Amino acid sequence: MIDAVSILSILALVLGLVLGYAAIRYRVEGNPLVDQIDAILPQTQCGQCDFPGCRPYAEAIASGEAEINQCPPGGQDGVDALAELLDVETLLLNAEHGETKPKRIAVVDEQVCIGCTLCIQACPVDAFVGSSKVMTQVIAAECTGCDLCLPVCPVDCIDMIEVKLTLNTFVPNVGGLASV
Amino acid sequence: MRDKVMGTNQVMRQVIYALVLGIAAQVVFFGFSVLVQIALAIVTALSAEALVLRMRGIQITPSLRDGSAVLTAVLLAIAIPSIAPWWIIVLGVLFAIVFGKQLFGGLGNNPFNPAMLGYAFLLVSYPLQMTQWPSEFQSVLSIFELSAVDALTGATNLDYTKTQLMLGESIGALTFENVSQMWINLGFLVGGIYLLLRRIVFWHIPLSLVLGLVLMSGVLYLIDPSSYSSPAFHLINGATMLAAFFIATDPVSASTTPLGRLIYGFAIGVIIIVIRVFGGYPDAVAFAVLLMNITVPLIDYYTQPKVFGK
Amino acid sequence: MSKFAFKGGLVLENPFPAKEIDLIRIPLPDKVVLPMQQRIGEQAKPCVSVGEYVLTGQVIATIDDDRCAPVHASISGTVVAIDNQVMAHQSGLKALCVTIESDGEDEWIDNSVACTENYDFCTPDTIYNKIRLSGIVGMGGAGFPTHTKVQFAEGCHTLIVNATECEPGIMCDDALMQAYPTKVIRGVEVLLHICGAEKAIIAIEDDKKESIKLLKKFCKNERITIEAIPTKYTSGAEKILVKSLLGIEIPSGGYASDVGVLCQNVGTLVAIFDAVVENRPLISRVVTVTGSAIKEPKNLQVRLGASYDYVLGFADIDPGENDIRMAGMMMGVDLKGTDYSISKNTNCIFVNKPIEKAAAQECIRCGMCNTVCPVELLPQQLYWYSKSSNIEKALDYNLLDCIECGCCSHVCPSNIPLVDYYQFAKALNRQQTKEKVQTDNARERFEFREFRLERNKQERAEMMEAKKKALKEKMAKDKVQKEAIAAAQERVNAAKTAKESEDAR
Repeated sequence: MIDAVSILSILALVLGLVLGYAAIRYRVEGNPLVDQIDAILPQTQCGQCDFPGCRPYAEAIASGEAEINQCPPGGQDGVDALAELLDVETLLLNAEHGETKPKRIAVVDEQVCIGCTLCIQACPVDAFVGSSKVMTQVIAAECTGCDLCLPVCPVDCIDMIEVKLTLNTFVPNVGGLASV
Repeated sequence: MRDKVMGTNQVMRQVIYALVLGIAAQVVFFGFSVLVQIALAIVTALSAEALVLRMRGIQITPSLRDGSAVLTAVLLAIAIPSIAPWWIIVLGVLFAIVFGKQLFGGLGNNPFNPAMLGYAFLLVSYPLQMTQWPSEFQSVLSIFELSAVDALTGATNLDYTKTQLMLGESIGALTFENVSQMWINLGFLVGGIYLLLRRIVFWHIPLSLVLGLVLMSGVLYLIDPSSYSSPAFHLINGATMLAAFFIATDPVSASTTPLGRLIYGFAIGVIIIVIRVFGGYPDAVAFAVLLMNITVPLIDYYTQPKVFGK
Repeated sequence: MSKFAFKGGLVLENPFPAKEIDLIRIPLPDKVVLPMQQRIGEQAKPCVSVGEYVLTGQVIATIDDDRCAPVHASISGTVVAIDNQVMAHQSGLKALCVTIESDGEDEWIDNSVACTENYDFCTPDTIYNKIRLSGIVGMGGAGFPTHTKVQFAEGCHTLIVNATECEPGIMCDDALMQAYPTKVIRGVEVLLHICGAEKAIIAIEDDKKESIKLLKKFCKNERITIEAIPTKYTSGAEKILVKSLLGIEIPSGGYASDVGVLCQNVGTLVAIFDAVVENRPLISRVVTVTGSAIKEPKNLQVRLGASYDYVLGFADIDPGENDIRMAGMMMGVDLKGTDYSISKNTNCIFVNKPIEKAAAQECIRCGMCNTVCPVELLPQQLYWYSKSSNIEKALDYNLLDCIECGCCSHVCPSNIPLVDYYQFAKALNRQQTKEKVQTDNARERFEFREFRLERNKQERAEMMEAKKKALKEKMAKDKVQKEAIAAAQERVNAAKTAKESEDAR
């Protein structure tokens, strides 16, 4: 009887010490969950999720204020990835926030632009080059296709062009795997 | 344009052909019951598979044609006592096909050997029926319990040895009259060699399984020949050859790397002896195989061959 | 293991052997369609316009990137179109092409510049430039710009000439060697001169006895050896060839130049000779036409850009709907129809009677694929991971080392198109990597913008503060001044009243 009690007590003590040491030694600083969620989000910074950017949305998900299915640019794949990360049931993409569209890039019609700079101010990733009373254009490599510049342009000179597949970006469709 | 490469369907068929000799030996010694069991098993297997495939919404005919369900059925029918009641094989095959194969996603996705899963299920659920072995040529009717009086049962050599040892006898004092097992194992050995020659089965698993079995039993035999049977005894009795060439070599549930296969086979051989000698069951193939099936992902991970240029 | 043996690979029979290997020079095509997108690199920009008259060998498209080769007109005539045409690629996508209609004259541009037979006196740089300006790319199928590859391999110790032609059914290199054995040897000598290698090895599979005999007969150079290696598929894969000839394993992800070896296809060598010594840019190549629908396989020397229909017209084809496949039976691409044109890396066209493709079954994990992979990968694991789009694990299992040779697909008893899955996984990997770079960039820019707006706000606030303070100080100074003036005024007033009262007494 004494043997059993003492063995278990010693075991509890040792394991407790090990756990305590591990808690201190392997402590993780900051809130890695927000970073992990942000890493999955597509960084379009469009605001369709009702938050001003991807990071605020990530923070909202982490704190439980928002659902995981509010991001159309991430698509259903993004929702599934978030569900897997958070170890919850996956949901269908919430259509209220918009639909998933193929990748598009903004292009300014240079004949019509009046240099009002409203688009420069609206772009969440500073993808415009231009200045007041000077012709403005989009840096294609930086544009995330968020559509935020469309409503602010007073002369409606911005078009969204779909990104075409090239021989280098083609993904072969094997057994229905490619979502292209 | 392609060379003649053996397809999956043909592979399954060849394995079934290779079983014929062993089955013939069983018929010679114990009667035609085993054939009836096989027939029952095949019918149950095909029906069960068709039903589940229909529920999964997959085309039935191509999947049935590949012969894997038939092979599972035949293996299980050979493994159980041939005088077991008809509902034993039906239940066993149902369990093997539905739980052991289809629920995991069908051919290629099952982590466990389906026939062995069925066998283990039967052994644990119906120990009485699964340990009554025929002692001589029996009438087929015994399966349908129509001539229960005539059914003569006895223990297998392994069973007999185990009981006698527990009663305190030593090995030297035992006498074996039943040579059926030897011939049956020989039949399966010949079939297995045929598969090896036709390159349907790779040599790694059969060789390492036999090696593991012989080494483990050899060590024990050297330590105390009066309490432990010799390696030869273990090779001849039980489902050893069936395991080595037909059961452990099931590619879906076995290890896939060459080194991994050697480890896998060797471990099965060792575990078979351990359970036979120290465990609660006279024959141990099913459990040994199932235990090693669990370790396959681990073995595969650690035995990857060196890649070119790394 | 015998001297040049290697693990894995398959011994395959040539399904359509030719009784005699003959090189037939076919007449000029009526029109050629030249693609701007070569196998590797950016798209070239046409430097001619529609309606312009061009000469054979004239540069019609250039690329800014010095590592890539320009495109030349393969016949003389008028440019009739610069538009998108279908490419001989599994995607069926279209890309920009220049179409030239022949005037039948085949007038050559005057290209006599630099080198000629006295190439010994030219500096390596001059010759690299000549090779680049002649548009030479790897003729074995990969199409890598030759001058860049040679430059990377500067200082190498061995030059390996890949004359193995290991894919069964293709005979274009064999035909080339039997027709021009001296050009091959001279081409090797030119390359030896530039790359500075001590020796060259011409590797040929031992079933090409005639070629071996001819090359040995015409080779008088002690630095060049001709090795006959066992006939086995993938003996010609660069990594495998370097290992079996020299015993050196090229590190994973590395190149032959990393281990001091330069490997070139024998067709490329003939092209180098033509360019450096005879001043002819790359405007034609040898194409093998073979298949079950063709009575006798043929090797044709064709101008680049000729249409498949034109080329196939010189072979005896069984009528009816046939399957077309570009390149070999193991690594080729199945194409629909014949509306394509010969490009720099079209080494073979298969025309086969349609056969029913066996349906793919489930993988039974038999491991046959693992035994035949020449790069010693685990195709089975790659398959399972590619199938579930688990690119991370596939990369762990060295997906990028796969040479897509097709040995694994060939032996699979369940007829699974394994190489298709690896191509899918590689393309997905490229796409995901590109996306990751873009999203990381977008995230950075977004965060910087937030920071910038915050900083602007701060600066504005500080500026307002500073202005306010300055105003306050100014007002305080003004106040002090005003008080001083008021005080002075009072003193003056006081003095005035004092004086007035004194005057009054």
